[in-house]
Amino acid sequence: MSQRKSYAVGTGLFIVFGFAALAYLATQTTSVVNSHQGASYVIDAQFVNVGQLKERAPVKVAGVRVGQVQSISLEPGKDVADVKLSIDKKFGQIPTDSTAVIYTSGLLGDQYVGLQFGSAKNYLANGGHLVLTRSTQPLEEMLGKFFGAGGVADAIGGSYKVTAHFTNVGALSEGAPVKMAGVAIGSVADVKADPVKLDATVTLAIDSKYNQIPDDSAAAVFTSGLIGSQYVAIQPGGSPNSLKDGDQLVLTQSAMQLEDLIGKFLVNGSSSGNSNAGGNGSSNPPAGKH
Amino acid sequence: MSTQLERGENVVIGSLAQIGRCGLFLLRILAAIPSSLRYARETVRQLWFVGAMSLTIIMTCGLFIGMVLSLQLYHVLSIFGGTSATGSVVALAVYRELGPVVTALLFAGRAGTSITAEIGLMRATDQIAAMEMMAVDPIAYVAVPRFLAGLVAMPLLCCVFCGMSIFGGQLVAVDWLGVDNGTFWSNMTANVDVWDDVINGVIWKSLVFGAVIALIAVFQGYTTPPTSEGVAYATTRTVVASSIAILALDFVLTAFLM
Repeated sequence: MSQRKSYAVGTGLFIVFGFAALAYLATQTTSVVNSHQGASYVIDAQFVNVGQLKERAPVKVAGVRVGQVQSISLEPGKDVADVKLSIDKKFGQIPTDSTAVIYTSGLLGDQYVGLQFGSAKNYLANGGHLVLTRSTQPLEEMLGKFFGAGGVADAIGGSYKVTAHFTNVGALSEGAPVKMAGVAIGSVADVKADPVKLDATVTLAIDSKYNQIPDDSAAAVFTSGLIGSQYVAIQPGGSPNSLKDGDQLVLTQSAMQLEDLIGKFLVNGSSSGNSNAGGNGSSNPPAGKH
Repeated sequence: MSTQLERGENVVIGSLAQIGRCGLFLLRILAAIPSSLRYARETVRQLWFVGAMSLTIIMTCGLFIGMVLSLQLYHVLSIFGGTSATGSVVALAVYRELGPVVTALLFAGRAGTSITAEIGLMRATDQIAAMEMMAVDPIAYVAVPRFLAGLVAMPLLCCVFCGMSIFGGQLVAVDWLGVDNGTFWSNMTANVDVWDDVINGVIWKSLVFGAVIALIAVFQGYTTPPTSEGVAYATTRTVVASSIAILALDFVLTAFLM
């Protein structure tokens, strides 16, 4: 009898132990931890692009969780996403002119909604509406900005055009920025192959306020970063005369090509005789003003 | 040639017949559940044997599975600078696959074989025939308690296994390799869903595995030839058949529950 009882007690302990383990797994290691949310109220915000934002994603103020995304739906008839945010009642003092921004935690992390407080004296109530929103930044856009291209100067005061001949423009395209000392002063208006000289003629539109550029300045095609887009850099010369509309830049340096560089690097030791061939990095000899 | 073909046919037909007999046996067990309620004490005793007595091996194995998983993941993830994801990957791998499958394989080896050997020996020593003589339904008294015990014990053991794995993973990642404790847990809680991972992954899978293992074990023991060789053969077949059934069913269940 006592042996039987010990079975029963042991089995009971086993069952309790098993359920305790289940309760632990379910409550401590899952997202249940994050949904300890008492009374809450709902506000909504419209975004142009919610990116990878998911339901139940956190809503944070100053990095601290104050609620979660309740639902994401398409605004009927419009191409904007309507996001309902469920905010904990505890955090009831969100100014009406706050901004909702979609952030990404880390480079590859999940997205969440961040609230930046405004300065209004009124607070959002249940069913309130956030007017100011900032949508997710697609990575491609950010990379594009980061690697140049974004800094094209707006030619409000008009521009003047100068041309330059390059033996190789690489991947330079129309609209690429023209920079001097790293600052954008204009853009590439046209890239054409010259049918007679068999090289590339690049037309640069330079902002009229930069009219003091010496006419013996050099133009070079550079790449921003290792894999960035290409731009034209103007390296100022020392001539007292400045560039005018229709002038030609005679000193040019063509685009470096990674393949050529690697090729040069690899064959450097064996044959140095033809290392200058290949059209890369060769600058045209100065031929006076055109 | 023709004898080989015949033998092949016999193997196919034989295994089909075995599956069919197993299914019919399951129906007999289910039908006998109401009449076995008066042997509830026997069910508790079996739960002690197949469940509580398996705790040691389940806990030890769970601990080591969690530890090795954490170690491997840390080294791979550190290549990408993503060691903070160790916690969530350990938890997801254990909940969705490793927990139920490894627990089931261990359970088949530890408890399934003992069920088969016990019932097989009962059969070989005519105890089952004696029960029938005494008007005790051997299905209700012998088969059903062991089947129910397996069904109940598997999910509980699996939960214990998963808990130990998480603990082992935390031990290696946080205490030995220096992943931040808060990152480890917050990453886990952010990515593990209670319904998709714990209920669907752990509970449903282990319930099905427990039923399949217990059914195969009881069936093999009950239908064994009453010789010592027959008992040995039945025990082996229990392990082989349940392992194949577990791994095959795991794929099917994953496909359905995903």
